[in-house]
Amino acid sequence: MAYKFHNISVLIVEDNQPMISLLKSVLNTFGIKNIYTSQNGKDAFELFCEVKPDLIITDWMMKPMDGITFSRLVRTSSRSPNKFTPIILMTGYSQKHRVFQARDAGVTEFLVKPFKARDLYKRIAQIIERPRKFIRSEDFFGPDRRRKSDTSYNGVMRRETDEKEAVEFIEMRPANAKTTEPKQERVKLSSFLNRAS
Amino acid sequence: MTTHYNQPVRRKAEVIVPQNILKAKVGYGGLSEAILDKAEDLIKYNTVDFAPLAELYLQSLLKAIHDAKGAIGSSVSDHSFIEILHPTMQLKANGGMFHYPLVTEVAHKLLQFIEVIDRIDDDAIEIMLAFHTTIRAVVLGRVEGGGGRHGEILLAELEKACFRYFEKQGSLH
Repeated sequence: MAYKFHNISVLIVEDNQPMISLLKSVLNTFGIKNIYTSQNGKDAFELFCEVKPDLIITDWMMKPMDGITFSRLVRTSSRSPNKFTPIILMTGYSQKHRVFQARDAGVTEFLVKPFKARDLYKRIAQIIERPRKFIRSEDFFGPDRRRKSDTSYNGVMRRETDEKEAVEFIEMRPANAKTTEPKQERVKLSSFLNRAS
Repeated sequence: MTTHYNQPVRRKAEVIVPQNILKAKVGYGGLSEAILDKAEDLIKYNTVDFAPLAELYLQSLLKAIHDAKGAIGSSVSDHSFIEILHPTMQLKANGGMFHYPLVTEVAHKLLQFIEVIDRIDDDAIEIMLAFHTTIRAVVLGRVEGGGGRHGEILLAELEKACFRYFEKQGSLH
């Protein structure tokens, strides 16, 4: 028996048309046929309110509204039809502070571009099989920002990747990039970068 | 034993367990390796020509660098950084998706540079232009893949240039 992906709908938010086409093809191969697309966060939110998708896959950098602002709208706007909708954020950013920034905006999973089809599938499967609880506090509403390892299972780990996947949320790297973190300890331009994203 | 040092709790967090609608809709079983292989091949063998797209991002990057250069000494603003950052990020993210992992690598190095410089000066402009020229050469030369030994040398040279920049900056302060 396989996932019945034909039962769900997905909203893709991405400003790069070839990327939209590629992503749609991959999702179609997974069995997801009900796919909506939008090229920026502003239009995407209107579409989201209208079609109420089961899952959102969004890029980060778009104009006039980026994926982070869009995610915040989904989580907090009074117009949002489902504030719990899972959001996968795709981005070229791989640094931890970027992951934390996305997490604070209410993003559920983080997918670093360039990615492989299995990377995307893992994020979707993670959302289905290990959904995050939501936290509502004075200054935050969104998926629990702590990734806890599942201690309820005491059996044998069957895959080499089991342990690795538990911390993948903050340690993902581009699929085919040999990246190194910057060694410079210069002042970070966090103010403009926050606005940039 | 007291909790919260006898102080009233100011920030209460409510934990909500949402209904797992996705699970209810898709059921059990995951996807087969055959399906995942097929999806993998779609990305691996996609026929998108990245060059025109890259050219758009490169033009945008070049304009942003020139705009920043024109503003040196007067008003190099956060906006200048943002305008440089956006096409760089696009090149990094999309190069590897469309058979140009070397573009991703070079753009990643540029991104790291932009993220740690604290101002834009003539030297920073020169470095950014070198990155731009390199990426353009990779795309125009249709250097798909990692570029082999030449790719490694290019990356190493760009990295050295960045280190030289920071050494010079350090000696100026």
